[in-house]
Amino acid sequence: MTEDKSGRTFWARLASWGPYHALMRLTTASPRRQFLILAAFPILWVLSQHLGPMLQMLRVSLTDAYPVAPGVEQHFTLDNYGRFFGDSIFWMPFFRTLIFAGVFTFCTLIITYPVAYFLARHVSRKNQMLLLLLLLIPFWVGEIVRTYAIMILLGNTGAVNLALKTLGLIDRPIPFMYTSFSMGVGIVYLTALYMLLPLYSSLEKLPKSMNEAAADLGAGAWTRFRRVSLPLTIEGISSGCTLVFLISTGFYATPVLLGGPSTTVFAETIAGFFHVAGDEWPTGAAFATIMFAAALAITATFQKLMNALRKGDKK
Amino acid sequence: MNDRPEVFRGNRIFLACIYWAFVLYVFVPLILMVLMGFKDSNFIGFPIKSWTLDWYTGVFADAEVLSTFGYSVAIAVLSTLISIFVGTWIAVLLEGRKFWGRTLLFGLAVLPALVPGIISAIAFRIYARWLGIEPGMGAIVWAHAVHNVPFVVLVVMARLSTLPKSQIEAARDLGADPLISFIRVTLPYLVPAILGASIFCLLLSFDDFVRSFFLGGYEPTLPVLIFAKLRSGMSPEINAIATVALFLTAAIGIWAERFTRRMNKEN
Repeated sequence: MTEDKSGRTFWARLASWGPYHALMRLTTASPRRQFLILAAFPILWVLSQHLGPMLQMLRVSLTDAYPVAPGVEQHFTLDNYGRFFGDSIFWMPFFRTLIFAGVFTFCTLIITYPVAYFLARHVSRKNQMLLLLLLLIPFWVGEIVRTYAIMILLGNTGAVNLALKTLGLIDRPIPFMYTSFSMGVGIVYLTALYMLLPLYSSLEKLPKSMNEAAADLGAGAWTRFRRVSLPLTIEGISSGCTLVFLISTGFYATPVLLGGPSTTVFAETIAGFFHVAGDEWPTGAAFATIMFAAALAITATFQKLMNALRKGDKK
Repeated sequence: MNDRPEVFRGNRIFLACIYWAFVLYVFVPLILMVLMGFKDSNFIGFPIKSWTLDWYTGVFADAEVLSTFGYSVAIAVLSTLISIFVGTWIAVLLEGRKFWGRTLLFGLAVLPALVPGIISAIAFRIYARWLGIEPGMGAIVWAHAVHNVPFVVLVVMARLSTLPKSQIEAARDLGADPLISFIRVTLPYLVPAILGASIFCLLLSFDDFVRSFFLGGYEPTLPVLIFAKLRSGMSPEINAIATVALFLTAAIGIWAERFTRRMNKEN
């Protein structure tokens, strides 16, 4: 720290500098005032930037025109929501998205649980970090790049088809691409980490002695898993599934690139309203609101269920 | 590992196989993608019969691709600076003394991270129009900044909760006012968390597609450029661009991981 002639540091000089001192006296006159000054900006930011966009979306979804042309009056209407139920071209992708998201979340859980279990229970502390880091590397790579990687893997001249052909299992390539299968492979690939980390941290907290005690009492591997590990990691399962479900419903580029005409998801339907010129924005906003409300309702119900399950086990 | 190997060994081998199969699942697609960038043909697909570096020299000679890289990096840096500033402030408020509505404020602070991608992009698009922000760099920076705030809040809060209260009290006893004690005691303690969160935000912003796509003007960010090229057909050129982006992000990610770990160990 640089010191001036009188031997005081920069900060001490600042503190005794007249205007600064006065400002500090003013702002910290009472704990209440000090708190208000600290709290004002975060509260304003959160309301205007975090909540604002969602509320504005809700407001636009209830109007008949947006952006409003000059000289035209904006009216309140529920028509945009009515449109959703009126046409299967709208609600089909909606239910498809929810079903896909549910199935893909379940697949992610099934795939990552043993991986997390292995890391947390069968690997020494030092290697745990190393093996976990190894899995983190691909997840630093972006959504589009990883989706493209899946396209190369599963294409008609892709690696999987080449391998199957070389092994003599097929004559003609299997059309994996542009199906719900290729979409599933892609989405599980993108979301696996968000499931793996919560599972890992809840499994890691579980004392090893519990499993050993169960083994001593004669419980087999399956029973130990079902009666000990599974109930005690419900918290990790619940938060992992919630996260992955919410993320899966929001994918846009991956279904566009990996899916086909029969796998159109709701994100594509919503996006359609924003590509075309014209006043389709309110309908798009209404559909996005429906999607968000449904996703929140499903995850909230799911969490309630898991909580009940956990409490039931404790009794 | 434990004293009953005969009970657990079978499981262990079985689980180890699953783990390594999973490693293959996450690495093989990326490795194949990198390899394809060296293929000496316009046609994407296996087998690769002859190899070339032309696609890579093409990437570094292509002014459009290079300026897109610069554009994406600039957006990432600007949005990260905003997220760090706002996120740290919110975290300091939330980790401070208890107040009415704190849980609610926390919920709102992490909200943008929970909104599914497409809905978040649409909401930002509508709000930007309402605020009068034109699609383009400003709109993307703003959307990325808001979207990344929750991650900063969570990381900084976790770090703040381990700050010994006695340190702040000592500074206050020695006559430091709240601002100076924050700058001289709290902030240095937060450095590892802030650095870790910065890297995370940089990568989130650099990799983001959906917000950049809906809020962008005519100039694409890197993921948007790759997406647009993919829609007009696969080509090893895209592999070369994607590979450069992949190594950039993976290298930063690994470096940050090691760095934050070392910082945590020191403290």
